[in-house]
Amino acid sequence: MAFNRKKKTFEGDTVQLENVSVGYGEVPPIISGVSLNLPQKSFHFLTGPSGTGKTSLLSLLYLANLPMAGSVKLFGEDVMDASRSRLAALRRRVGVVFQDFRLLDHLSVFDNVALPLRIARVPEDVVMQDVKELLNWVGLGEHMENKPAVLSGGQKQRVAIARAVVNRPKLILADEPTGNVDDKIAVRLMALFIELHKLGSSVIVATHNESLVARFPFPRLHLENGVLTPRPAAGQAG
Amino acid sequence: MARSDLPFRKDNAGRFVQWLVMVLVFLSAIAATVNAYTDALLTHWSRSVVGTMTVQVPPAAEGRSSSDAARDAEKVLAALKLHPAVASAKAIPREKIVTLLEPWLGSGAAITDLPLPALIDVQLRPDSTNSAASVADLVVKAVPAALVDDHRVWLSRMTDLAGGIGKIALGLVGLIAASLAFTVIFATRASLTEFMQTIEVLHLVGARDDYIAGQFARRALTEGIVGGVLGLVLFAPTLAAVVWLAKQVQAGVLPQVELPPLHWFVLALLPFLAGLLAMFTAHFTVRRALRAMV
Ligand SMILES: Nc1ncnc2c1ncn2[C@@H]1O[C@H](COP(=O)(O)OP(=O)(O)OP(=O)(O)O)[C@@H](O)[C@H]1O
Ligand SMILES: [Mg+2]
Repeated sequence: MAFNRKKKTFEGDTVQLENVSVGYGEVPPIISGVSLNLPQKSFHFLTGPSGTGKTSLLSLLYLANLPMAGSVKLFGEDVMDASRSRLAALRRRVGVVFQDFRLLDHLSVFDNVALPLRIARVPEDVVMQDVKELLNWVGLGEHMENKPAVLSGGQKQRVAIARAVVNRPKLILADEPTGNVDDKIAVRLMALFIELHKLGSSVIVATHNESLVARFPFPRLHLENGVLTPRPAAGQAG
Repeated sequence: MARSDLPFRKDNAGRFVQWLVMVLVFLSAIAATVNAYTDALLTHWSRSVVGTMTVQVPPAAEGRSSSDAARDAEKVLAALKLHPAVASAKAIPREKIVTLLEPWLGSGAAITDLPLPALIDVQLRPDSTNSAASVADLVVKAVPAALVDDHRVWLSRMTDLAGGIGKIALGLVGLIAASLAFTVIFATRASLTEFMQTIEVLHLVGARDDYIAGQFARRALTEGIVGGVLGLVLFAPTLAAVVWLAKQVQAGVLPQVELPPLHWFVLALLPFLAGLLAMFTAHFTVRRALRAMV
């Protein structure tokens, strides 16, 4: 892939969380007082029992939610101070693989993956080329014109991943990106994230899959009972 | 950009907007045409009566002979001819008055014996049509019993009528525009609910509010224009039918007047105005709704 599009350069940490609490409504916060700095070009797993708040934490980073307390900085920009159009611009620099994919059922696989590029007003010939290339890479070259409804769970997941990375985001948030694929494809998809990581993106992969965590030499952030604990890398070089 | 990220083809709210715009543009076209016709009629009538006056010199009454009456008429004529605003003043010959009255009173000796008023037809100079009042004063000074009719009362009533019709037409168009705006607001809200999941994805992928609102707006514009053109298509045969019916009526009652080119231009603009109104309303509604998201 041609990763040569110019992006604004930025020197500090990609993600800076300070004393952040996350919650929904009146109930006590799910996450409280989390502080976290993720440098550029970092790679982390995010682990923790189901329902512990991994998706909630990520949703803070893809700017679907604002924290109840504390401050969130993305690419050095405080999201509380950002205008709506700045928030949109920040979102365009973040690629998200949603746990439930969130593909648009009425659009073809191609158009689903092209969405971030078109929103970023990338010229259509570039869209054509990049999307095709990426879909071939994730093994969906044959399914470009299909609607997501006719794909298997694992294929949908690959479409979701392709959509997340197609615009070469500087921050990639993958929520259970390998939950529906066998180990062979899981490793191949991880290789895609690792390639983007090597090219300069920060990556967070939330997963339950301990064997996946064990396989790669990346540190993990463990979330349990509202507390985030960094743990060193478990795996060897992948 | 013709491409849309939202599955508009599937939702019925939009089709309803199109249908409603058709009806509303049809009604607006009728209101505008009635208004334009009234204005044109008024212009037609005022052009034919402005600058003309009719002076009535009463016939011989008790204690006055018919030669007194004739002398009064001469006096009025003489006075009129001295006024600089008067282009011509002619007594209408008695025979002509008789002819005018014949259809009502019948011919024969009886009518010629009637004490008829003397009528004087006055034409003012085209550049001094507003001196009518001073001419009337002059006439009344010469012969206090003379009656001057400069058609102003009649004309001002017609102007009031036309003005009233104009205001009603404007009010109707205002109501129509409001109905369109409200319909678009509710239809847009319905679509927003229907497409919420898609919109959330667009939002999270980094679409700006105006990117999403623009898709709704573009679609509202198309619906407005298409609906509006259909409305005009519906209006054309209706107008033709009314014109045909009007032609069957005696010409004096409903004069054939030309509507100004501006009117047809305004009618042709209606679909675009409806489209623009729908577009801005949809844009505004979507932007407001999106502000509920972070
Ligand atoms: N939109 C929401 N409104 C209210 N509560 C929510 C919402 N989203 C999540 N929660 C609650 O927050 C808690 C954490 O949910 P979250 O989805 O973040 O967990 P998770 O760690 O991602 O779980 P899993 O591993 O199963 O995906 C749960 O108790 C859930 O019920
Ligand atoms: Mg989750």
